[in-house]
Amino acid sequence: MTPPLESPRLDRRQLLKLSIGAGAAALMPLSGLQANTVSTRARIVILGGGAAGMSMANRLAMRLSGARITVVEPRETHHYQPGWTLVASGVWQPDRTLRLNADFMPRGIDWIRQPAVGVDADERRITLADASTLTYDILVVATGLQLNYHRIEGMSTDLIGNHGIGSVYAGPQEAARTSDAIDKWLAIGGGQGLFTNPQTAIKCAGAPIKMAFTTQSRIKITGNRDDFALDYFTPSDGMFSQPWINDFLKQRFDRDNIARHHGQYLSAIDPQARQAEFTGRDGNTETRDYDFIHVVPPMSAPDFVKASDLIAKEGAFAGEWLDTDIYTMQHNRYPEVFGIGDVIGAPINKTAASVKAQAPVVEENIAAFLEDKPLPARHNGYTSCPLITDIGTAMLVEFGYDNDMAFMPSFSFIDPKEESWAAWVLKDYMLQPAYYAMLEGRV
Amino acid sequence: MNFTLAGIFAVLSHAIPPFLPLILAILALLVLAQLIGRLRGYRLTDYRCLPAGIAALLAGLSTLWWLPMLTYSRLGLVATLTDWAALIAAALGVALITWLVLHPLSYLVRGPRGQ
Repeated sequence: MTPPLESPRLDRRQLLKLSIGAGAAALMPLSGLQANTVSTRARIVILGGGAAGMSMANRLAMRLSGARITVVEPRETHHYQPGWTLVASGVWQPDRTLRLNADFMPRGIDWIRQPAVGVDADERRITLADASTLTYDILVVATGLQLNYHRIEGMSTDLIGNHGIGSVYAGPQEAARTSDAIDKWLAIGGGQGLFTNPQTAIKCAGAPIKMAFTTQSRIKITGNRDDFALDYFTPSDGMFSQPWINDFLKQRFDRDNIARHHGQYLSAIDPQARQAEFTGRDGNTETRDYDFIHVVPPMSAPDFVKASDLIAKEGAFAGEWLDTDIYTMQHNRYPEVFGIGDVIGAPINKTAASVKAQAPVVEENIAAFLEDKPLPARHNGYTSCPLITDIGTAMLVEFGYDNDMAFMPSFSFIDPKEESWAAWVLKDYMLQPAYYAMLEGRV
Repeated sequence: MNFTLAGIFAVLSHAIPPFLPLILAILALLVLAQLIGRLRGYRLTDYRCLPAGIAALLAGLSTLWWLPMLTYSRLGLVATLTDWAALIAAALGVALITWLVLHPLSYLVRGPRGQ
Protein backbone atom coordinates (compact mmCIF):
# COMPACT_ATOMS: atom_id res chain seq x y z
CA MET A 1 0.00 0.00 0.00
CA THR A 2 1.25 3.45 -0.89
CA PRO A 3 2.09 5.62 2.12
CA PRO A 4 0.14 8.86 2.66
CA LEU A 5 1.37 11.73 0.54
CA GLU A 6 4.03 13.90 2.02
CA SER A 7 3.36 17.60 2.36
CA PRO A 8 4.32 19.08 -0.98
CA ARG A 9 6.48 22.18 -1.30
CA LEU A 10 4.53 25.11 -2.64
CA ASP A 11 5.48 26.50 -6.01
CA ARG A 12 4.62 30.03 -7.17
CA ARG A 13 1.35 28.96 -8.74
CA GLN A 14 0.23 27.21 -5.57
CA LEU A 15 1.17 30.25 -3.51
CA LEU A 16 -0.90 32.44 -5.80
CA LYS A 17 -3.82 30.06 -5.51
CA LEU A 18 -3.51 30.09 -1.76
CA SER A 19 -3.53 33.87 -1.63
CA ILE A 20 -6.56 34.10 -3.90
CA GLY A 21 -8.18 31.29 -1.92
CA ALA A 22 -7.55 33.17 1.30
CA GLY A 23 -9.36 36.15 -0.19
CA ALA A 24 -12.19 33.89 -1.20
CA ALA A 25 -12.40 32.38 2.27
CA ALA A 26 -12.73 35.83 3.74
CA LEU A 27 -15.66 36.49 1.45
CA MET A 28 -17.25 33.07 1.78
CA PRO A 29 -20.85 33.22 2.96
CA LEU A 30 -21.22 31.84 6.47
CA SER A 31 -23.58 29.13 5.22
CA GLY A 32 -20.77 27.69 3.14
CA LEU A 33 -18.74 27.10 6.28
CA GLN A 34 -21.54 25.51 8.22
CA ALA A 35 -21.59 22.09 6.56
CA ASN A 36 -21.22 19.75 9.54
CA THR A 37 -17.89 18.05 9.86
CA VAL A 38 -18.60 14.42 10.58
CA SER A 39 -16.33 12.48 12.92
CA THR A 40 -15.93 8.90 11.84
CA ARG A 41 -13.42 6.07 11.71
CA ALA A 42 -15.01 4.67 8.57
CA ARG A 43 -12.82 3.14 5.88
CA ILE A 44 -13.76 4.84 2.66
CA VAL A 45 -12.49 3.60 -0.68
CA ILE A 46 -12.85 5.69 -3.80
CA LEU A 47 -12.40 3.74 -7.01
CA GLY A 48 -10.97 6.13 -9.58
CA GLY A 49 -9.14 9.45 -9.46
CA GLY A 50 -10.69 11.14 -12.46
CA ALA A 51 -13.12 14.04 -12.36
CA ALA A 52 -15.55 12.23 -10.05
CA GLY A 53 -13.06 10.37 -7.87
CA MET A 54 -10.80 13.35 -7.30
CA SER A 55 -13.73 15.64 -6.48
CA MET A 56 -15.01 13.12 -3.96
CA ALA A 57 -11.57 12.61 -2.43
CA ASN A 58 -11.24 16.33 -1.76
CA ARG A 59 -14.79 16.79 -0.58
CA LEU A 60 -14.72 13.83 1.80
CA ALA A 61 -11.26 14.76 3.09
CA MET A 62 -12.65 18.18 4.06
CA ARG A 63 -15.99 16.91 5.34
CA LEU A 64 -15.03 13.82 7.33
CA SER A 65 -12.82 13.97 10.38
CA GLY A 66 -10.91 10.78 11.21
CA ALA A 67 -12.04 8.82 8.18
CA ARG A 68 -9.51 6.57 6.48
CA ILE A 69 -9.84 7.50 2.83
CA THR A 70 -8.17 5.54 0.06
CA VAL A 71 -8.14 6.49 -3.61
CA VAL A 72 -7.43 3.72 -6.10
CA GLU A 73 -6.04 5.39 -9.21
CA PRO A 74 -3.17 3.95 -11.29
CA ARG A 75 -2.48 7.02 -13.44
CA GLU A 76 -0.07 9.78 -12.46
CA THR A 77 -1.49 12.13 -15.09
CA HIS A 78 -4.90 13.74 -14.95
CA HIS A 79 -6.70 14.18 -18.27
CA TYR A 80 -8.95 17.18 -18.86
CA GLN A 81 -11.16 15.26 -21.25
CA PRO A 82 -13.57 18.12 -22.11
CA GLY A 83 -10.61 19.71 -23.91
CA TRP A 84 -10.10 16.83 -26.30
CA THR A 85 -12.65 18.07 -28.85
CA LEU A 86 -10.59 21.26 -29.05
CA VAL A 87 -7.43 19.18 -29.54
CA ALA A 88 -9.08 17.11 -32.28
CA SER A 89 -10.28 20.34 -33.89
CA GLY A 90 -6.76 21.74 -34.09
CA VAL A 91 -7.44 24.51 -31.56
CA TRP A 92 -5.52 23.17 -28.53
CA GLN A 93 -2.30 21.24 -28.14
CA PRO A 94 -2.76 17.95 -26.24
CA ASP A 95 -0.43 19.03 -23.43
CA ARG A 96 -2.96 21.66 -22.42
CA THR A 97 -5.25 18.87 -21.20
CA LEU A 98 -2.69 17.24 -18.91
CA ARG A 99 -1.90 17.85 -15.24
CA LEU A 100 -0.44 15.72 -12.50
CA ASN A 101 -2.90 13.93 -10.25
CA ALA A 102 -0.56 14.84 -7.40
CA ASP A 103 -1.54 18.51 -7.92
CA PHE A 104 -5.07 17.72 -6.78
CA MET A 105 -4.80 14.73 -4.45
CA PRO A 106 -5.71 15.84 -0.91
CA ARG A 107 -3.30 15.37 1.96
CA GLY A 108 -3.81 12.64 4.49
CA ILE A 109 -5.36 10.07 2.20
CA ASP A 110 -3.89 6.86 0.82
CA TRP A 111 -3.34 6.89 -2.92
CA ILE A 112 -2.96 3.41 -4.35
CA ARG A 113 -1.29 3.63 -7.74
CA GLN A 114 -2.61 0.47 -9.30
CA PRO A 115 -5.88 -0.56 -10.87
CA ALA A 116 -8.69 -2.36 -9.13
CA VAL A 117 -9.57 -5.66 -10.76
CA GLY A 118 -12.44 -6.91 -8.67
CA VAL A 119 -15.20 -5.98 -6.25
CA ASP A 120 -16.86 -8.34 -3.81
CA ALA A 121 -19.82 -6.30 -2.71
CA ASP A 122 -21.07 -8.83 -0.19
CA GLU A 123 -17.70 -8.99 1.56
CA ARG A 124 -17.05 -5.25 1.03
CA ARG A 125 -13.71 -6.07 -0.50
CA ILE A 126 -11.73 -4.67 -3.46
CA THR A 127 -9.09 -6.74 -5.23
CA LEU A 128 -6.15 -4.86 -6.74
CA ALA A 129 -3.96 -5.77 -9.72
CA ASP A 130 -1.24 -7.22 -7.47
CA ALA A 131 -3.86 -9.52 -5.86
CA SER A 132 -3.85 -7.56 -2.60
CA THR A 133 -7.20 -6.56 -1.17
CA LEU A 134 -8.85 -3.58 0.45
CA THR A 135 -11.89 -3.63 2.66
CA TYR A 136 -14.29 -0.75 3.05
CA ASP A 137 -17.19 0.57 5.06
CA ILE A 138 -18.17 3.02 2.30
CA LEU A 139 -17.34 2.54 -1.36
CA VAL A 140 -17.50 5.34 -3.92
CA VAL A 141 -17.48 3.93 -7.44
CA ALA A 142 -16.00 6.63 -9.65
CA THR A 143 -14.17 4.48 -12.17
CA GLY A 144 -15.37 6.29 -15.24
CA LEU A 145 -16.25 4.12 -18.17
CA GLN A 146 -14.55 1.74 -20.55
CA LEU A 147 -14.10 2.40 -24.27
CA ASN A 148 -14.94 -0.78 -26.19
CA TYR A 149 -13.29 -0.18 -29.55
CA HIS A 150 -12.95 -3.95 -29.83
CA ARG A 151 -16.69 -4.25 -30.30
CA ILE A 152 -16.22 -2.67 -33.74
CA GLU A 153 -14.76 -5.40 -35.92
CA GLY A 154 -11.39 -4.38 -37.34
CA MET A 155 -11.02 -1.31 -35.11
CA SER A 156 -8.32 -0.56 -32.56
CA THR A 157 -6.88 2.64 -31.10
CA ASP A 158 -3.59 2.01 -32.96
CA LEU A 159 -5.40 2.93 -36.16
CA ILE A 160 -6.33 6.42 -35.02
CA GLY A 161 -4.52 8.95 -37.17
CA ASN A 162 -3.94 6.43 -39.98
CA HIS A 163 -6.10 5.24 -42.89
CA GLY A 164 -8.36 8.28 -42.49
CA ILE A 165 -9.49 7.20 -39.02
CA GLY A 166 -10.07 9.65 -36.18
CA SER A 167 -11.54 9.28 -32.69
CA VAL A 168 -11.66 12.00 -30.09
CA TYR A 169 -12.34 9.70 -27.15
CA ALA A 170 -9.24 7.53 -26.90
CA GLY A 171 -6.85 10.05 -25.34
CA PRO A 172 -5.10 13.39 -25.86
CA GLN A 173 -2.53 12.04 -28.33
CA GLU A 174 -5.25 10.19 -30.23
CA ALA A 175 -7.26 13.43 -30.33
CA ALA A 176 -4.22 15.18 -31.83
CA ARG A 177 -3.84 12.38 -34.36
CA THR A 178 -7.53 12.81 -35.20
CA SER A 179 -6.78 16.43 -36.05
CA ASP A 180 -3.88 15.27 -38.24
CA ALA A 181 -6.15 12.80 -40.02
CA ILE A 182 -8.60 15.62 -40.75
CA ASP A 183 -5.75 17.76 -42.10
CA LYS A 184 -4.71 14.93 -44.42
CA TRP A 185 -8.27 14.65 -45.66
CA LEU A 186 -8.49 18.38 -46.27
CA ALA A 187 -5.25 18.20 -48.25
CA ILE A 188 -6.89 15.74 -50.67
CA GLY A 189 -9.31 18.52 -51.58
CA GLY A 190 -12.55 16.56 -51.28
CA GLY A 191 -14.17 13.24 -50.52
CA GLN A 192 -16.40 11.43 -48.08
CA GLY A 193 -16.43 11.97 -44.31
CA LEU A 194 -18.39 9.71 -41.96
CA PHE A 195 -19.26 10.54 -38.34
CA THR A 196 -20.50 7.65 -36.25
CA ASN A 197 -22.25 6.89 -32.96
CA PRO A 198 -22.41 3.55 -31.15
CA GLN A 199 -25.44 1.64 -29.92
CA THR A 200 -24.59 2.40 -26.27
CA ALA A 201 -24.70 5.41 -23.98
CA ILE A 202 -21.57 7.56 -24.40
CA LYS A 203 -19.76 10.18 -22.40
CA CYS A 204 -19.92 13.77 -23.64
CA ALA A 205 -22.77 12.93 -25.98
CA GLY A 206 -22.21 16.22 -27.80
CA ALA A 207 -18.67 15.31 -28.89
CA PRO A 208 -19.61 13.41 -32.07
CA ILE A 209 -21.75 16.39 -33.10
CA LYS A 210 -18.99 18.85 -32.26
CA MET A 211 -16.54 16.85 -34.37
CA ALA A 212 -18.89 17.05 -37.35
CA PHE A 213 -19.29 20.81 -36.92
CA THR A 214 -15.61 21.63 -36.30
CA THR A 215 -14.54 19.46 -39.23
CA GLN A 216 -17.01 21.35 -41.38
CA SER A 217 -15.48 24.62 -40.10
CA ARG A 218 -12.06 23.51 -41.27
CA ILE A 219 -13.47 22.43 -44.62
CA LYS A 220 -15.12 25.83 -45.12
CA ILE A 221 -11.75 27.52 -44.67
CA THR A 222 -10.46 25.63 -47.72
CA GLY A 223 -13.23 27.23 -49.78
CA ASN A 224 -14.25 23.87 -51.22
CA ARG A 225 -17.17 22.85 -49.00
CA ASP A 226 -19.11 21.44 -51.95
CA ASP A 227 -16.31 18.98 -52.70
CA PHE A 228 -16.64 17.34 -49.27
CA ALA A 229 -19.58 15.11 -48.33
CA LEU A 230 -20.37 14.76 -44.62
CA ASP A 231 -22.60 11.97 -43.34
CA TYR A 232 -23.63 11.49 -39.71
CA PHE A 233 -24.82 8.13 -38.35
CA THR A 234 -26.70 7.50 -35.13
CA PRO A 235 -28.61 4.42 -33.97
CA SER A 236 -31.33 6.58 -32.41
CA ASP A 237 -34.09 8.66 -33.95
CA GLY A 238 -32.79 11.78 -32.26
CA MET A 239 -29.63 13.83 -32.20
CA PHE A 240 -29.57 15.03 -28.59
CA SER A 241 -31.40 14.41 -25.30
CA GLN A 242 -32.64 17.98 -24.84
CA PRO A 243 -35.72 18.37 -27.07
CA TRP A 244 -35.16 21.96 -28.24
CA ILE A 245 -31.52 21.29 -29.07
CA ASN A 246 -32.52 18.04 -30.78
CA ASP A 247 -34.81 19.96 -33.16
CA PHE A 248 -32.21 22.69 -33.64
CA LEU A 249 -29.52 20.17 -34.57
CA LYS A 250 -31.72 18.36 -37.08
CA GLN A 251 -32.46 21.65 -38.82
CA ARG A 252 -28.86 22.78 -38.60
CA PHE A 253 -27.50 19.54 -40.08
CA ASP A 254 -30.01 19.75 -42.91
CA ARG A 255 -29.18 23.39 -43.57
CA ASP A 256 -25.44 22.64 -43.59
CA ASN A 257 -25.93 19.66 -45.88
CA ILE A 258 -24.63 17.13 -43.33
CA ALA A 259 -26.67 14.04 -44.20
CA ARG A 260 -28.32 12.36 -41.21
CA HIS A 261 -28.67 8.57 -41.05
CA HIS A 262 -30.77 7.39 -38.12
CA GLY A 263 -31.05 3.82 -36.90
CA GLN A 264 -27.52 2.80 -37.94
CA TYR A 265 -24.34 2.15 -36.01
CA LEU A 266 -20.76 1.34 -37.05
CA SER A 267 -20.23 -2.41 -36.69
CA ALA A 268 -17.02 -3.03 -38.67
CA ILE A 269 -14.24 -1.18 -40.40
CA ASP A 270 -11.70 -2.13 -43.07
CA PRO A 271 -8.88 0.40 -42.70
CA GLN A 272 -6.93 -0.71 -45.77
CA ALA A 273 -9.93 -0.49 -48.07
CA ARG A 274 -11.27 2.57 -46.22
CA GLN A 275 -14.69 1.00 -45.91
CA ALA A 276 -17.08 1.08 -42.97
CA GLU A 277 -19.92 -1.32 -42.28
CA PHE A 278 -23.08 -0.01 -40.65
CA THR A 279 -25.76 -2.17 -39.10
CA GLY A 280 -29.38 -1.07 -39.11
CA ARG A 281 -32.23 -1.84 -36.74
CA ASP A 282 -33.29 -4.75 -38.91
CA GLY A 283 -29.82 -6.28 -38.63
CA ASN A 284 -28.98 -5.66 -42.26
CA THR A 285 -25.57 -4.19 -42.99
CA GLU A 286 -24.48 -1.57 -45.47
CA THR A 287 -20.88 -0.80 -46.52
CA ARG A 288 -19.71 2.71 -47.25
CA ASP A 289 -16.46 4.10 -48.58
CA TYR A 290 -14.81 6.93 -46.70
CA ASP A 291 -11.85 9.27 -46.88
CA PHE A 292 -12.19 10.23 -43.22
CA ILE A 293 -14.20 8.56 -40.49
CA HIS A 294 -14.74 9.70 -36.91
CA VAL A 295 -15.25 6.61 -34.79
CA VAL A 296 -17.12 6.75 -31.49
CA PRO A 297 -16.65 3.45 -29.64
CA PRO A 298 -19.32 1.57 -27.69
CA MET A 299 -18.93 2.31 -23.98
CA SER A 300 -19.75 0.53 -20.73
CA ALA A 301 -18.73 0.28 -17.11
CA PRO A 302 -15.25 -1.25 -16.73
CA ASP A 303 -15.14 -5.04 -17.02
CA PHE A 304 -14.36 -5.59 -13.32
CA VAL A 305 -17.44 -3.57 -12.36
CA LYS A 306 -19.51 -5.45 -14.91
CA ALA A 307 -18.30 -8.72 -13.39
CA SER A 308 -19.32 -7.64 -9.89
CA ASP A 309 -22.64 -7.63 -8.09
CA LEU A 310 -22.69 -3.85 -8.36
CA ILE A 311 -23.76 -3.90 -12.01
CA ALA A 312 -27.41 -3.30 -12.87
CA LYS A 313 -29.25 -6.61 -13.07
CA GLU A 314 -32.36 -5.43 -14.91
CA GLY A 315 -33.73 -2.50 -16.85
CA ALA A 316 -32.11 -0.28 -19.45
CA PHE A 317 -28.70 -0.40 -17.79
CA ALA A 318 -28.56 -4.15 -17.11
CA GLY A 319 -25.14 -5.69 -17.50
CA GLU A 320 -23.53 -2.45 -18.64
CA TRP A 321 -23.72 0.26 -15.95
CA LEU A 322 -23.62 0.69 -12.18
CA ASP A 323 -26.98 0.10 -10.47
CA THR A 324 -27.45 3.51 -8.88
CA ASP A 325 -30.40 5.58 -7.72
CA ILE A 326 -30.04 8.51 -10.12
CA TYR A 327 -31.30 10.98 -7.51
CA THR A 328 -29.52 9.96 -4.28
CA MET A 329 -26.52 8.39 -6.09
CA GLN A 330 -26.72 5.45 -3.65
CA HIS A 331 -26.44 1.92 -4.99
CA ASN A 332 -29.87 0.33 -5.37
CA ARG A 333 -28.90 -2.87 -3.53
CA TYR A 334 -25.79 -2.09 -1.49
CA PRO A 335 -26.54 1.00 0.62
CA GLU A 336 -22.88 1.50 1.62
CA VAL A 337 -21.98 1.95 -2.06
CA PHE A 338 -22.37 5.24 -3.91
CA GLY A 339 -21.79 5.90 -7.59
CA ILE A 340 -20.78 9.06 -9.37
CA GLY A 341 -19.77 10.09 -12.86
CA ASP A 342 -19.70 8.20 -16.12
CA VAL A 343 -20.02 4.72 -14.59
CA ILE A 344 -23.57 5.10 -13.28
CA GLY A 345 -26.65 4.00 -15.16
CA ALA A 346 -28.48 7.23 -15.91
CA PRO A 347 -30.39 8.54 -18.92
CA ILE A 348 -28.02 11.50 -19.30
CA ASN A 349 -25.14 12.74 -17.15
CA LYS A 350 -21.90 11.37 -18.55
CA THR A 351 -20.17 14.76 -18.42
CA ALA A 352 -17.78 16.58 -16.11
CA ALA A 353 -20.52 19.15 -15.50
CA SER A 354 -22.72 16.39 -14.13
CA VAL A 355 -19.95 15.43 -11.71
CA LYS A 356 -19.91 19.01 -10.46
CA ALA A 357 -23.60 18.68 -9.59
CA GLN A 358 -23.38 15.10 -8.30
CA ALA A 359 -20.37 15.51 -6.00
CA PRO A 360 -22.09 17.68 -3.36
CA VAL A 361 -25.04 15.25 -3.39
CA VAL A 362 -22.80 12.22 -2.81
CA GLU A 363 -20.86 14.08 -0.11
CA GLU A 364 -24.02 15.12 1.70
CA ASN A 365 -25.59 11.68 1.46
CA ILE A 366 -22.45 9.84 2.63
CA ALA A 367 -22.25 12.19 5.61
CA ALA A 368 -25.91 11.44 6.43
CA PHE A 369 -25.41 7.70 5.91
CA LEU A 370 -22.49 7.69 8.34
CA GLU A 371 -24.71 9.37 10.92
CA ASP A 372 -27.50 6.89 10.23
CA LYS A 373 -29.80 9.62 8.94
CA PRO A 374 -32.07 9.64 5.87
CA LEU A 375 -30.28 10.76 2.73
CA PRO A 376 -31.16 14.46 2.35
CA ALA A 377 -29.68 15.40 -1.03
CA ARG A 378 -31.01 14.70 -4.51
CA HIS A 379 -29.33 15.12 -7.86
CA ASN A 380 -31.52 16.98 -10.35
CA GLY A 381 -29.84 15.50 -13.39
CA TYR A 382 -27.95 18.67 -14.22
CA THR A 383 -25.62 18.29 -17.14
CA SER A 384 -23.98 20.70 -19.52
CA CYS A 385 -22.67 20.61 -23.05
CA PRO A 386 -20.86 23.56 -24.54
CA LEU A 387 -22.06 22.61 -28.01
CA ILE A 388 -19.54 23.89 -30.53
CA THR A 389 -21.38 24.63 -33.77
CA ASP A 390 -18.43 26.24 -35.56
CA ILE A 391 -14.83 26.86 -34.50
CA GLY A 392 -15.32 30.16 -32.71
CA THR A 393 -18.92 29.87 -31.53
CA ALA A 394 -20.87 27.59 -29.20
CA MET A 395 -24.16 27.11 -27.38
CA LEU A 396 -23.97 26.67 -23.61
CA VAL A 397 -26.56 23.93 -23.25
CA GLU A 398 -27.41 23.09 -19.63
CA PHE A 399 -30.35 20.95 -18.63
CA GLY A 400 -31.59 18.36 -16.13
CA TYR A 401 -34.16 15.63 -15.57
CA ASP A 402 -37.15 17.77 -14.73
CA ASN A 403 -39.81 19.22 -17.03
CA ASP A 404 -38.81 17.17 -20.05
CA MET A 405 -35.15 18.05 -19.64
CA ALA A 406 -35.78 21.76 -19.43
CA PHE A 407 -32.87 24.18 -19.73
CA MET A 408 -31.06 25.10 -16.50
CA PRO A 409 -28.86 28.05 -17.53
CA SER A 410 -26.14 29.07 -15.09
CA PHE A 411 -25.77 32.54 -16.54
CA SER A 412 -28.82 34.70 -17.21
CA PHE A 413 -26.87 36.61 -19.84
CA ILE A 414 -26.13 33.55 -22.00
CA ASP A 415 -29.15 32.13 -23.82
CA PRO A 416 -28.79 28.35 -24.31
CA LYS A 417 -30.70 28.66 -27.59
CA GLU A 418 -28.22 31.08 -29.15
CA GLU A 419 -24.88 30.42 -30.81
CA SER A 420 -22.50 32.74 -29.05
CA TRP A 421 -18.88 33.84 -29.11
CA ALA A 422 -19.11 34.39 -25.33
CA ALA A 423 -20.08 30.72 -24.83
CA TRP A 424 -17.10 29.73 -26.99
CA VAL A 425 -14.75 31.87 -24.91
CA LEU A 426 -16.18 30.25 -21.77
CA LYS A 427 -15.47 26.81 -23.25
CA ASP A 428 -12.00 27.82 -24.43
CA TYR A 429 -10.80 29.68 -21.31
CA MET A 430 -13.08 29.32 -18.27
CA LEU A 431 -14.42 25.78 -18.10
CA GLN A 432 -11.01 24.24 -17.54
CA PRO A 433 -10.31 26.44 -14.49
CA ALA A 434 -13.82 25.62 -13.23
CA TYR A 435 -13.04 21.93 -13.72
CA TYR A 436 -9.83 22.15 -11.69
CA ALA A 437 -11.65 24.02 -8.92
CA MET A 438 -14.20 21.20 -8.99
CA LEU A 439 -11.44 18.61 -8.57
CA GLU A 440 -10.34 20.47 -5.46
CA GLY A 441 -13.89 20.31 -4.12
CA ARG A 442 -14.12 24.10 -4.09
CA VAL A 443 -17.06 24.50 -6.47
CA MET B 1 -25.69 25.50 -11.58
CA ASN B 2 -24.93 28.42 -9.35
CA PHE B 3 -21.51 29.55 -8.27
CA THR B 4 -20.93 31.07 -4.84
CA LEU B 5 -18.58 34.01 -4.48
CA ALA B 6 -16.00 31.64 -2.99
CA GLY B 7 -16.53 29.34 -5.96
CA ILE B 8 -15.90 32.19 -8.39
CA PHE B 9 -12.63 32.99 -6.63
CA ALA B 10 -11.69 29.32 -6.72
CA VAL B 11 -12.21 29.30 -10.49
CA LEU B 12 -10.26 32.54 -10.90
CA SER B 13 -7.39 31.06 -8.89
CA HIS B 14 -6.94 28.66 -11.82
CA ALA B 15 -7.93 31.05 -14.61
CA ILE B 16 -5.66 34.00 -13.81
CA PRO B 17 -2.16 32.46 -13.36
CA PRO B 18 -1.53 31.73 -17.06
CA PHE B 19 -2.23 35.40 -17.86
CA LEU B 20 -0.49 36.86 -14.84
CA PRO B 21 2.75 37.84 -16.63
CA LEU B 22 0.76 39.71 -19.28
CA ILE B 23 -1.46 41.42 -16.70
CA LEU B 24 1.57 42.44 -14.63
CA ALA B 25 3.43 43.72 -17.70
CA ILE B 26 0.50 45.91 -18.73
CA LEU B 27 0.05 47.19 -15.20
CA ALA B 28 3.78 47.93 -14.90
CA LEU B 29 3.74 49.84 -18.18
CA LEU B 30 0.70 51.81 -17.08
CA VAL B 31 2.06 52.67 -13.65
CA LEU B 32 5.54 53.52 -14.93
CA ALA B 33 4.23 55.80 -17.68
CA GLN B 34 1.94 57.63 -15.26
CA LEU B 35 4.52 57.81 -12.49
CA ILE B 36 7.40 59.08 -14.60
CA GLY B 37 5.09 61.54 -16.34
CA ARG B 38 3.87 62.94 -13.04
CA LEU B 39 7.41 63.28 -11.74
CA ARG B 40 8.15 65.38 -14.84
CA GLY B 41 5.11 67.60 -14.34
CA TYR B 42 2.47 65.70 -16.35
CA ARG B 43 -1.14 66.15 -15.27
CA LEU B 44 -3.81 64.01 -16.90
CA THR B 45 -6.43 66.74 -17.05
CA ASP B 46 -4.15 69.60 -18.03
CA TYR B 47 -2.34 68.09 -21.00
CA ARG B 48 -3.89 67.83 -24.48
CA CYS B 49 -2.62 65.36 -27.08
CA LEU B 50 -4.81 64.50 -30.06
CA PRO B 51 -2.46 61.79 -31.50
CA ALA B 52 -2.61 59.85 -28.23
CA GLY B 53 -6.39 60.01 -28.36
CA ILE B 54 -6.47 58.86 -31.99
CA ALA B 55 -4.02 56.03 -31.27
CA ALA B 56 -6.17 54.91 -28.33
CA LEU B 57 -9.26 55.00 -30.51
CA LEU B 58 -7.54 52.91 -33.18
CA ALA B 59 -6.27 50.44 -30.58
CA GLY B 60 -9.81 50.11 -29.23
CA LEU B 61 -11.29 49.60 -32.69
CA SER B 62 -8.61 47.07 -33.58
CA THR B 63 -9.77 45.00 -30.62
CA LEU B 64 -12.91 44.17 -32.58
CA TRP B 65 -10.65 42.34 -35.03
CA TRP B 66 -7.86 40.81 -32.98
CA LEU B 67 -9.69 39.74 -29.84
CA PRO B 68 -12.05 37.29 -31.62
CA MET B 69 -9.06 36.08 -33.65
CA LEU B 70 -7.00 35.60 -30.49
CA THR B 71 -9.79 33.33 -29.21
CA TYR B 72 -9.80 31.25 -32.45
CA SER B 73 -12.99 32.99 -33.56
CA ARG B 74 -13.84 35.90 -35.85
CA LEU B 75 -15.94 39.04 -35.78
CA GLY B 76 -18.60 37.39 -37.93
CA LEU B 77 -19.33 34.94 -35.09
CA VAL B 78 -19.84 37.71 -32.53
CA ALA B 79 -23.60 37.57 -32.61
CA THR B 80 -25.53 37.95 -29.39
CA LEU B 81 -26.09 40.97 -27.18
CA THR B 82 -23.77 39.43 -24.59
CA ASP B 83 -21.10 38.86 -27.25
CA TRP B 84 -21.21 42.49 -28.34
CA ALA B 85 -21.35 43.82 -24.77
CA ALA B 86 -18.25 41.77 -23.89
CA LEU B 87 -16.38 42.77 -27.03
CA ILE B 88 -17.22 46.46 -26.71
CA ALA B 89 -16.24 46.41 -23.02
CA ALA B 90 -12.91 44.86 -23.99
CA ALA B 91 -12.42 47.44 -26.76
CA LEU B 92 -13.14 50.28 -24.34
CA GLY B 93 -10.70 48.79 -21.85
CA VAL B 94 -7.96 48.50 -24.45
CA ALA B 95 -8.62 52.08 -25.64
CA LEU B 96 -8.50 53.42 -22.07
CA ILE B 97 -5.29 51.60 -21.16
CA THR B 98 -3.66 52.64 -24.42
CA TRP B 99 -4.61 56.27 -23.78
CA LEU B 100 -3.41 56.14 -20.16
CA VAL B 101 -0.02 54.88 -21.38
CA LEU B 102 0.43 57.01 -24.51
CA HIS B 103 -0.83 60.26 -23.00
CA PRO B 104 1.97 60.65 -20.42
CA LEU B 105 4.52 59.18 -22.86
CA SER B 106 3.55 61.86 -25.36
CA TYR B 107 4.09 64.50 -22.66
CA LEU B 108 7.52 63.06 -21.90
CA VAL B 109 8.46 63.18 -25.60
CA ARG B 110 6.91 66.49 -26.57
CA GLY B 111 7.22 68.37 -23.31
CA PRO B 112 4.48 70.54 -21.81
CA ARG B 113 3.47 72.14 -25.14
CA GLY B 114 -0.11 70.97 -24.87
CA GLN B 115 -0.66 72.43 -21.41
